[in-house]
Amino acid sequence: MKPLSIVLLFFLSVTLAFAQDTPEPVYGGEVVVAITADPPGWDPTVSTSQEIARVMYHNVYEGLVRLNADGEIVPALATDWQISEDGLTWTFNLHEGVKFHDGSDLTPEDVVASFERAKDPDSGHTHPEYYEAIDTISADGNTITFTLTEPSSSLLYNLARPDSIIYPAASAETQRSNPIGTGPFKFAEYTEGSEVRLERFEDYYIDGVPYLDSAVFKIIPDPNTRFAALQAGDIDLIGVALSPEQYLQVEGDSSLKGTEGTATTEITLALNNTREPLNNPLVRQAITHAIDKNAIVEGAQFGFGTVIGTHMSPAESYYVDLTDTYPYDPEKAKELLAEAGYPDGFTISFELPEPYNIERRSGQVIAQQLADVGITVDLSVVEWGTWIQRIFLGGDYDMTIIGHSEPRDINVYGNPDYYYHYDNPEVRDLLTQIENASSEAEQTELYQDIARIIARDAVNVWLFSPPYLVAAQSDVYGYWQNQPTPAIDMTGVYRAQ
Amino acid sequence: MIYFLLRRFVSALISIFLASVLVFSALLAVPGDPAEIILGVNASPQALAALREQLGLNEPPVNRFFQWSGGVLRGDFGESLNYQKPVAQLIRDRLSVSLVLAVGGGLVACLIALPLGIFAALNRGKVLDPLIVLFSQLGAAIPSFWLGLMLILLFSVKLGWLPAAGYTPFERDPVAYARSLLLPILSLGLGQAAIMTRMTRTAMIDVFSQDYIRTARAKGLQPGRVIWIHALRNALVTIITILGISLSNILIGSIIIEQVFSIPGLGRLALTAIGTRDFPLLQGEILVYASAIVMLSFIVDMSYGILDPRIRYG
Repeated sequence: MKPLSIVLLFFLSVTLAFAQDTPEPVYGGEVVVAITADPPGWDPTVSTSQEIARVMYHNVYEGLVRLNADGEIVPALATDWQISEDGLTWTFNLHEGVKFHDGSDLTPEDVVASFERAKDPDSGHTHPEYYEAIDTISADGNTITFTLTEPSSSLLYNLARPDSIIYPAASAETQRSNPIGTGPFKFAEYTEGSEVRLERFEDYYIDGVPYLDSAVFKIIPDPNTRFAALQAGDIDLIGVALSPEQYLQVEGDSSLKGTEGTATTEITLALNNTREPLNNPLVRQAITHAIDKNAIVEGAQFGFGTVIGTHMSPAESYYVDLTDTYPYDPEKAKELLAEAGYPDGFTISFELPEPYNIERRSGQVIAQQLADVGITVDLSVVEWGTWIQRIFLGGDYDMTIIGHSEPRDINVYGNPDYYYHYDNPEVRDLLTQIENASSEAEQTELYQDIARIIARDAVNVWLFSPPYLVAAQSDVYGYWQNQPTPAIDMTGVYRAQ
Repeated sequence: MIYFLLRRFVSALISIFLASVLVFSALLAVPGDPAEIILGVNASPQALAALREQLGLNEPPVNRFFQWSGGVLRGDFGESLNYQKPVAQLIRDRLSVSLVLAVGGGLVACLIALPLGIFAALNRGKVLDPLIVLFSQLGAAIPSFWLGLMLILLFSVKLGWLPAAGYTPFERDPVAYARSLLLPILSLGLGQAAIMTRMTRTAMIDVFSQDYIRTARAKGLQPGRVIWIHALRNALVTIITILGISLSNILIGSIIIEQVFSIPGLGRLALTAIGTRDFPLLQGEILVYASAIVMLSFIVDMSYGILDPRIRYG
């Protein structure tokens, strides 16, 4: 993409954001947002906790590029960039006059140091592999140059992730407790277990934003209390873990408003592909046929959710609808079970993650639906730390259910050690081709090929993609209505008078 | 007396030590690794290995336990794995919040339970007595977190008098501080008030049937004097015992209530410590909880001697 068109795109997306039926932005004031837990520190490069990104991403920290509310990659600290014909040299031009929150200037050396650290596996950065393709990083005047060992189509997206933020070269170690970024808000005060307060950064390099004087993120773990606090006016916005029934209550309350947008979450019935009888593709197909996804969306989600047929949500740019691969057909399921040698069904354990309401409720409906075709489900609820350790990292389970909220995460199907234990060289080969693909159209096609292969193999049962639900006081405007990546971006948020 | 104190002290130390061994073994038995929880599920293996090394998780568990307990004996409670701050500092910051909740909850319970219980005992079998008994039955049956949610719905959502959740430090705004703690204190106190009312009523009825009360009445003492001096003082031995149990219930109950009201006290900290498998922090918390409960029962024991001079320690 040419630099000019990127700049145009940025302004276009900003204009579009205000083209809704909304009042003029007003400066000043404070908006209080709910989050669910204390994050483990504030540096998104040393923990993958989404709670960190929700507060920090683009409010306090910025990278060279960023994602906007529609999931597009737009400029942030870089005004524009060029990629050479062979895809091996990437140059970024930095914004002039950018200051860090501690008053120092952003220098090209800070950018180089941030990426040197990011790609060093011993630095404590959680995802050095995102920068694997980068060979050297150098600064010349206001230009940053990356030379790559091989073309990488995922690099630009990785540069837009919260993992790719830039902070002062000298203070990498203290960012966890004392964050210093370049974003529109500076980190002002953190009261553990209670709240974190961000204040407007007067020297922000983009004129006119932010609108608010301060943004407060209140930590309220209990979902009922969170909603009561919104109803009571103690908080102004819930942009995480709002349940469908709470959303329905918003509609009956004139002082509140709700928005329904897209998110990149796939609620997935994960199957252990190496464990009997799930190692038999016929059994996995039978399970897919046995499950009525629409009934789950209606019964467990009050109708909020789009039924999906592969590991992609409609919010992804490369989405393809594969819900017809093995449609709901209990008779067919029974036939396939008989063909696989289980005419009388079998017994299987199904573990539900304790913290997640949608998953637990959906799981109960699924257990009933599987019982209808003769599969006896041994249902249990597992505490979160145990789920991560034994099921997710240990891969020791039969069936479980979880929402995969990471964007562009279909690449996990290339990893045979991932907890599905799905091993298919064809998928790995396609993933390599995607990395080297020259055009976005070609990439999309290859991604969709993978989507078809995993759907055909019935690796998992992809149930539905829940919408991104937000509830807010009716005078709050300018927040993200979609969730292409976990973030509660306060840059454009304001209170109308 | 000194022998008694010494024996109590040693048995307290043993209880506390056993509690921390138990909790430490429980943490080892459940799956879950602090480094994995801090880094999140998608972290690279290198980062994981580096953090495990940094946190000292590669040491054998027994070594870790003795390093920790050795530190405690020197007054060093170690560093929280999750917050990467001294445990002593984290606990100190939270302790005052939870103490106010516990003392406030106990006060609410006493202020309601003592008058109601005595009144019910005096009017045994009359109109109000069954009503008070009903209140105490209901109150004991309602879980405190549900009561908390109902109080939020009434006082915050419907009436808009008090904040639904959150906490304002005293230094920042004393009025907001009091307002933020009122509902949690009520939720903790009301449930215990119900139980204590019942116990007070039973204890008073029991005392009223004693011979010396009949004698006191027969020799023409004023009814008020009989109730407040003769009867209550003797009933207090039972009531104080119940109060001791109630206060430990309140302390434990505050773990849930702090979660419901989003109050940054010891209970929230303990839940976070369990969720993140933050063993130094959790061990520190257990130490505080166990000491508090041991101390409570000690105070209760000592108060018997003051209330009833016939009780001697030895």
